[in-house]
Amino acid sequence: MSTADQRPESAGSAQEAAKPISVVLRDIVQEYPVVDGGVTRVIDRVSLTFDRPGIAMLLGPSGCGKSTLLQMLGGVRPMGVVTPSSGSVLIDGVECTGPHDDAVMVFQRYANRPDLTVFDNVAFPFRLKLWRSRVPESEWRQRVADMLAAVGLSDKLGLLPAQLSGGQNQRVALARALVLRPRILLMDEPFGALDAQTRDEMQRLLIDLYRSWPCLVVFVTHDVTEALVLGDRVIVLSTQPARVADDFVIDEPRPRPAVWQRSREAQALEERILRQLHQASPGRGQVRVTV
Amino acid sequence: MSDFWNPYAALTSGRRRLLGAGSVLAVLLLWGLIAASGLVSATKLPGPWDVLAALAYLGWHEGESMLLTATLWSVGRLFVAGALVVAVGIPIGIVMGAAPRVNAALSPLVDPFRSAPVVALLPILVMWLGIGETMKIAFLFVGAVVYLIPMVRDAIQAVPQSYWIGARDLGATPWECIQRSVVPMAMPRIADAVIVAFSVMWTYITVAEYVNARQGLGQLIQNARRFSAWDQVFAGIIVIIALALATYQSMVWLKRRLYPWETQQ
Repeated sequence: MSTADQRPESAGSAQEAAKPISVVLRDIVQEYPVVDGGVTRVIDRVSLTFDRPGIAMLLGPSGCGKSTLLQMLGGVRPMGVVTPSSGSVLIDGVECTGPHDDAVMVFQRYANRPDLTVFDNVAFPFRLKLWRSRVPESEWRQRVADMLAAVGLSDKLGLLPAQLSGGQNQRVALARALVLRPRILLMDEPFGALDAQTRDEMQRLLIDLYRSWPCLVVFVTHDVTEALVLGDRVIVLSTQPARVADDFVIDEPRPRPAVWQRSREAQALEERILRQLHQASPGRGQVRVTV
Repeated sequence: MSDFWNPYAALTSGRRRLLGAGSVLAVLLLWGLIAASGLVSATKLPGPWDVLAALAYLGWHEGESMLLTATLWSVGRLFVAGALVVAVGIPIGIVMGAAPRVNAALSPLVDPFRSAPVVALLPILVMWLGIGETMKIAFLFVGAVVYLIPMVRDAIQAVPQSYWIGARDLGATPWECIQRSVVPMAMPRIADAVIVAFSVMWTYITVAEYVNARQGLGQLIQNARRFSAWDQVFAGIIVIIALALATYQSMVWLKRRLYPWETQQ
């Protein structure tokens, strides 16, 4: 898993990524209309500040509004509902009202286009007006090739997603996001559909990639172990309507070996998260702990 | 026989062909037996050999092939109408699928025609367009485009929203999302819609060629009927079915070649 290390410049310089960043969620409220004419509140006055690169894990029960928050950070508004209902998202002090090119998302599924090859999937953004005008073709071709090498897919450029495993597909999705050198990487349960072993591999890959491109990663998960393995910071959301139930920092350097995961410190953190989640969602069993 | 009531059991292609050919032969045999027994008079039910003879006669007689000429005319009309159906129906369907406002405005104009008696429109088209080629092409066009537009619209709307969100997030303009993500993803279903449109046109071709046709398979059947040449009527119908089947099979083959990823998902 050192493919990313061999090409430190492949994803741009680490200094460039580690530049200060400021992302602020201020009093976010999200409501959706319901059938009887009223509204249901899914997010209730959430305020969060991210002021440096790092991996922030956003943890919470299913359907608590984690993904909605993440989409707000990305400026994507898919549902035809005003998001957020009130409150604001500020990136470097500027209110974010629509899609912006500081942030790129990685989804759990349907990430890759089944009709495009691995190379074309990663090159997809450079065929859009926005990036075409910014990055000359010779440069982006090199960047795509380097990025695919960094995720270990150099020998799969011409294959279609259906010819890849689930883990390889998520590598393609990661490559497509990072090839744009985003300052913010938004990950929506990206490894949630993978088997345990592949999930481990992908977590290690993410740590490697993060080292060569240390941006702000906001990572949504409902897997407590994943949060402990990856996070510099863990934010626990309560059940609907989502509020910030807990927010703490993990100082342990990555990669965090199994020994650390079994340590008293890690156990204590795990219990802390689980306690919050159980308070957040009494009787709901959607929280996962993998060992 | 343990696989008899198992919808997922895979048949070998040999067995599938054997069963298919067997049932066709059985029908031909039954047909031949009824015709040969004299239970039904030959004027009402020509035997398979009569139809075969009629096919040979239409295929080559006195230095010309009536069948070939008629087929070329019908195929020509069908493909001219088909090109128009595709050129008009696909863009309208895409715009309706991609823009809910356009869909809301146009669907009351388009959707009811799916169940409209298109054949009843024929006299109106004759009144407006006369009895020439324009009317025939227009009739085929109307008959097929009212199926194609809603199917293309549905194909666009069936593309998972995540592809749209994904492209938008990567910096695509809304139109780029449609053009570069949604439409390519909808293409296999759009191709299915085109295949259906051509099948529909084959069913309408005889109707289109009933009015003042001088050429075409519909005219050939019509003419044969006038002279009570039922063997030729049967022959004409069989040729149309065969052509429709050939069109269908080759379009399905082409679609699989163009969008091999569809079945791999």
